[in-house]
Amino acid sequence: MKIMKKLLALGLCVSMMTAMVACGGSDSASTESTSAAGEKTTIGFIYVGASDDYGYNQAAYKGMEAVKAHFGDKVEILNQEKVPETSEASDVLEQMIQSGATILFPTSFGHLTPAEDVAKNYPNVIFEHQGGMETMPNLGTYFGTIWDPYYLAGIAAGHATKSNKLGFVAAFPISQSLANVNAYTLGAQSVNPDITTTVIFTGDWSDPAKQTEAANTLIADGCDVLAQHQDATKTIVELCEANNVYTVGYHADASELAPNMWLTAAVWDWSGLFVDICQAIMDGKWQGSQYDAIYRGGMAEGIVDLAPFGKAVPQEVQDEILALKAEMIAGTRHTFENEIKDQNGNVVCENGSFLSEEQVESMNYFVEGVIGTIE
Amino acid sequence: MSRLKNNKSLMQALSWIGMIIIAFIIFGIFLLMQGANPLEAYKNMFESTLTNQIGISKLILKSVPFILLAVATSISTRAGLVNVGVEGQLMIGMLFTITAANFLFTSLPTVLGLILLAIVGMLGGALYGGVAGLFRVKANMNETITTVVMNYISYFIVSLAVYGYLRDPEGFNWPMSTQISDSLTLPKLFGTVNIGIIIALLVVALVWYFINKTKTGFKMKVVCGNPNAAKNAGINVNKVRFFAMVATGAIAGLAGMIEICGVEGRLRTTTCQDYGYLGFLAAWMAWNNPVLSVATAVIISFLSVSGNVLEFKNNLPASSTQILMSIVLLAIMWRGKGRKES
Repeated sequence: MKIMKKLLALGLCVSMMTAMVACGGSDSASTESTSAAGEKTTIGFIYVGASDDYGYNQAAYKGMEAVKAHFGDKVEILNQEKVPETSEASDVLEQMIQSGATILFPTSFGHLTPAEDVAKNYPNVIFEHQGGMETMPNLGTYFGTIWDPYYLAGIAAGHATKSNKLGFVAAFPISQSLANVNAYTLGAQSVNPDITTTVIFTGDWSDPAKQTEAANTLIADGCDVLAQHQDATKTIVELCEANNVYTVGYHADASELAPNMWLTAAVWDWSGLFVDICQAIMDGKWQGSQYDAIYRGGMAEGIVDLAPFGKAVPQEVQDEILALKAEMIAGTRHTFENEIKDQNGNVVCENGSFLSEEQVESMNYFVEGVIGTIE
Repeated sequence: MSRLKNNKSLMQALSWIGMIIIAFIIFGIFLLMQGANPLEAYKNMFESTLTNQIGISKLILKSVPFILLAVATSISTRAGLVNVGVEGQLMIGMLFTITAANFLFTSLPTVLGLILLAIVGMLGGALYGGVAGLFRVKANMNETITTVVMNYISYFIVSLAVYGYLRDPEGFNWPMSTQISDSLTLPKLFGTVNIGIIIALLVVALVWYFINKTKTGFKMKVVCGNPNAAKNAGINVNKVRFFAMVATGAIAGLAGMIEICGVEGRLRTTTCQDYGYLGFLAAWMAWNNPVLSVATAVIISFLSVSGNVLEFKNNLPASSTQILMSIVLLAIMWRGKGRKES
């Protein structure tokens, strides 16, 4: 038995050594490729889900593709999908740095703390985190005022509902999600103040089983329009189509999945922003720029938008929404303005004022008319 | 006679290594089908993981939980039980550790705090393993089924805690616990590698000694071989089985403590998810031999660390690593089928 162990150890050593030798032998090839690459900048993107999820990760992936198309040979792109929001993300980010990455995009909210752990050890690598509220000397954060198109989508939902009960499937009770639920509810209430929104949190960005369960519960409860803050939107959108319930999408246009029941969606377009951020970093102008901080863009910048309307939205409603959208872009209207009360009747926004982006993104309450608790 | 035996062992060792090579060849075909160059892919995997300190550090850090969970599993197997519960026992071990670290021992000095946390973590795992053990010996319930079910329950318990009393008040409602204090992190050996690897190897040695050199270890072997014969020989079979389940749980709980204090620093709902199943596979790949499971744990760790590079450098789909891992596991288990002892 002892001999067997020794042999085994020997065998492992030999196999490792041959592996090393094999690597050593082809070293010349790898140095060649790096020298030929010259000034190539390596950019790493990590996503929490799949790049074809009709949602959050697909939107970020499209942003990456825009960077690739714009810079062409000047950049090398490293992509990793389905990176969990744990120290696993730190591992992948560090391995990307090891492979030469100098710009990193941790694109999920929960990638923030793992990214911070890596960022403090690599001061020369620039991190751009999606959706957070924290920054470091080499870590900026970007996001968009997605709640504005969500308010507009709420108007479409307010016109569509007959039961006056809207359903919302969210993932985590983070401020971004609360802001979307609140904006959506306020939009619908601008059509009919009696409308309520029932919220369910799934505790997961893209678990189809939990999404199905939550959506079915809401439908059984009488909700006839479902909206969502999930990363992968496909399951709920398809389920709505099958159950003749109107659906409001999120992150990306998924209208092809629900030709009859699709209303609209609040969607991202990261392409311009990602290219701009990378350009700033490659030009050495990132430090002190707007991206070296908490950057937020909106419909005016083209970062967030409303997806095309479905045939379930009548023309006059479309016109009404587009007119309001123009006012929002001009800055004369805001999603959270005038008197707004939370679930407990406390005034969270005074008449004649509106909430700043920072106030919206640190929301910790539901507005009046939302059914559900933040837990 | 002994020469014959040695030859047999040699053949076994060679075939074990041969199966790994075959697995890589099969995966190479998959890579070709995906339009990637297998040689370049393997080169990337080895280079990124074995030729620099960051890669080696990650390899060692990731091996630690797999070593401990594999060794833990092998104790139960030695007592004739198929215990898949290290996943849940790891979760509960982490939960106990983070709770004690954030509420009880926050201001204790490092050495005392870490020793207490190790005890608390082991206690958590042992309790959870003990429940499954009770199901086995008191209600004669199949431990494979109960431990799998209890793994799911452990996720819910962890979620409940992370959404509830553990939640970081400054985490923007994100479900994660507060970071443990710096004084309660495991001391480092070099770079990012902490003393966890030494603890793991010590545990391996202890378990090897326990299984092969002690009376209880011998009793376990008898129970595994033939429970009825063991009963007739006056061995309390239930006691031995219960003890094995508790010991497995305690070591899995220790792995949880090392992950919290050495790597993660926080508990999230997805922390260390599936580590238990990989540890279980490491044990079975190693024919439940504690010493050999160090090698299999390192292989699993290597696949999981280098798999990242495989994906982002060769533009392969995110499931590639799992495919490679499954092929390696199946290949080795094919070779090891029917074999329980070394």
